[in-house]
Amino acid sequence: MYPAFDGGQLRLLKEDDIKAVHEASVQLLGEVGVKVKSKAAREVFRSNGAEVDTATEIVKIPRDLLEKAISDAPSRVILYGREEKNDLHLEKARTYLGTGGTVLYALDLETGQKRRTNTQDLRDIGKMVDALENVSFYVINTYPQNVPDEAADINRFYWAITSTSKHVMGGMYTMKGLKDAIRLAEEIAGGPEKLRERPFVSFITLMVSPLVMDGLYTEFIMEIARKGLPLAIPSEPLAGATAPVTLAGTIALNNAESLAGITLAQLVNPGTPVLYGSTSSIMDLKKGYYVAGAIESAMINAALAQMAQYYQLPMYGTGGMSDSKINDSQAGYESALTAMTVALSGCNYIHDAVGLLEMCQVFSYEKMVIDDEIIGNIFRVMRGIEVNPDTLAVDRLKEIGPAGNFLVDIHTTRHFRKEFFFPKVADRRTRIDWQAAGSPDTAKRAHQMVREILAGHKPTPVDAALRARLRRQFPEIQGEES
Amino acid sequence: MSSLEELSNAVIGGDQDAVVELTRQAIVEKVDLNSIISRGLLPGMTVVGRRFKNGDMFIPEVLMAARAMNAGLELVKPLLVDGEVPVKGTVVIGTVEGDLHDIGKNLVGMMIESNGYRVIDLGIDLEPQRFVAAVREYKPQVVGMSALLTTTMLAMKETIEVLKEEGLRDSVKVIVGGAPVSQEFADEIGADGYAPDAASATELVRRLIG
Ligand code: B12
Repeated sequence: MYPAFDGGQLRLLKEDDIKAVHEASVQLLGEVGVKVKSKAAREVFRSNGAEVDTATEIVKIPRDLLEKAISDAPSRVILYGREEKNDLHLEKARTYLGTGGTVLYALDLETGQKRRTNTQDLRDIGKMVDALENVSFYVINTYPQNVPDEAADINRFYWAITSTSKHVMGGMYTMKGLKDAIRLAEEIAGGPEKLRERPFVSFITLMVSPLVMDGLYTEFIMEIARKGLPLAIPSEPLAGATAPVTLAGTIALNNAESLAGITLAQLVNPGTPVLYGSTSSIMDLKKGYYVAGAIESAMINAALAQMAQYYQLPMYGTGGMSDSKINDSQAGYESALTAMTVALSGCNYIHDAVGLLEMCQVFSYEKMVIDDEIIGNIFRVMRGIEVNPDTLAVDRLKEIGPAGNFLVDIHTTRHFRKEFFFPKVADRRTRIDWQAAGSPDTAKRAHQMVREILAGHKPTPVDAALRARLRRQFPEIQGEES
Repeated sequence: MSSLEELSNAVIGGDQDAVVELTRQAIVEKVDLNSIISRGLLPGMTVVGRRFKNGDMFIPEVLMAARAMNAGLELVKPLLVDGEVPVKGTVVIGTVEGDLHDIGKNLVGMMIESNGYRVIDLGIDLEPQRFVAAVREYKPQVVGMSALLTTTMLAMKETIEVLKEEGLRDSVKVIVGGAPVSQEFADEIGADGYAPDAASATELVRRLIG
């Protein structure tokens, strides 16, 4: 199992609030209903007792159906790695953070300029995920613009899985892409049964706010559920645009939407490992943009983590992005504040938390390293303060006494490595030393670390013969094997 | 304060009830119908536009003001001799094939509409033929396309091609937008304009057709 810590220290909702949100969501699903654009899905709902209006495509989900689905869904979902040490056990308030988004652009390592992403990015980012200790999973976060669109899904999953042995999760663009990705994973696992035993890939579907289930994406939910593979069902209400501007209203709506998707998955295949989810944020009401680094996004996700814990469902959430265009202080503080807020609420699987700039549209390698360090700081807070006679150290003070020091003491050498967080990016040198090193700013220092990882890190490879076979089977995959 | 000034202020405040009430009153008092529009309703919206540009008003306030103004216009319209408030032009807008993202498109449509244009919103996931049919039916001056995915941006290019094939390309100005779209891309596919947000989209329409 991958090392992890518990969140749950931050509670934005009170007990009564949680019940009120639940009741509001029950009301939304039972009285307003959801517009379900897939006929097959409407059939599933209808045959299980939901009220379906064929003309309007509105499905009203009654309370008992909803609550049954919540209890059918597992409270613990394990997202496996290609190697066991990378398994993620999602439950309660245990929190992991990693990549996310599907960006089209990256800041080039050589020039620092915004450029299109390609299959090499899929591989390099995979390697970085593999190397960075606080990044626990690889949500495939770039779209390769150097391959035809029809080949995007297979390239994304192939290069992700072969570049890291951590868990890989991704969204899909076509049904063929989804089926290919599943087939690919089955081959690597050694058969469909083996994959179902230890699914090291999982999938992201979505709901459309307010209260719509899209045709294609809803069929993705059903297909993945039938295969018994893990899936995240987030919704993305933007407060003020596709959801009420009040955070409580957006939370109730997001909750209802994600639960509607979970209900469908459980009806199709009870016990399907699903992640309740959110990618919610707000709309910037001055210009009319989606913004990713807004603190309200983090608050919505934090509150939803409490809802997930109330239902005992693992949660896929969002935090750690910035709307800045470069690695400046805005990039740092937005990422730190949002990631920390969501992590301390105990959201289990926080995606988008590393490397994203500019409204979830640009990836930065340097930022990935900086974010890894932000998460390290957050984990330090989550680990908390251990209080016992040894850590209170009264006996050490008795011995050392007034005006002594603790530098040469076994108590110090015994504890300091776990009591302190040791940053790698932050600069704690004197000005003189810093100037002697060329006065590097945060991004420069991070840049150096990226170079070192890309040059030196070696992820556990997928067997070469197997890779050769996969390359024959999926000729659309592009790029030299390394 | 004159009743028309009050009407302007009600528009600025987005107070639909007050706009309806004041417009009705003005009609009863036999205020010149054109003045109700040109000295009451429209100036309010002009102020809103200016404040929005300066960052003093926010999108929901602009849209509420536009809605209030339109409620007033609806009352005056049937009384005008030719029955129609002259619209500045017609814009057909939609999200291209394969794309579900419509928040930006909706917003652009609402903002253009609030500036006095007629907007026909075709919806989402539109194949090129849907745009063709709409151009034939509504005879717009502008066609606006929205795309938020790389995979669907190319559908914009295709739609322009189809408009050409159907001999309709020269009868309309084509504008494009959406988060991944750029001026460069717009030029590449032969669009007439690109705008990065709703306010500049409105400017763009104004620039293209007046
Ligand atoms: C909300 C959202 C969704 C919602 C959409 C709900 C809806 N009703 O629209 C949902 C959850 C459904 C969704 C789905 C998906 N999404 Co999405 N989504 C977003 C998000 C977060 C915000 C978009 C938005 O609404 N912004 C607010 C509006 C107001 O801004 P806007 O659309 O940019 O519009 C402004 C301007 O662009 C301009 N404009 C827009 N249209 C036009 C038209 C004209 C003519 C003009 C002049 C101007 C103009 O003016 C607008 C107002 O200021 C963006 C992130 C982002 N940075 O954009 C991702 C994003 C667009 N989505 C993305 C992806 C990948 C997807 C999915 C493919 C996810 C998946 N793998 O399953 C699916 C695709 C579904 C489909 N087939 O379309 C990517 C796209 C990257 C890519 N690969 O192409 C983005 C960039 C996020 C990311 N980095 O991952 N998404």
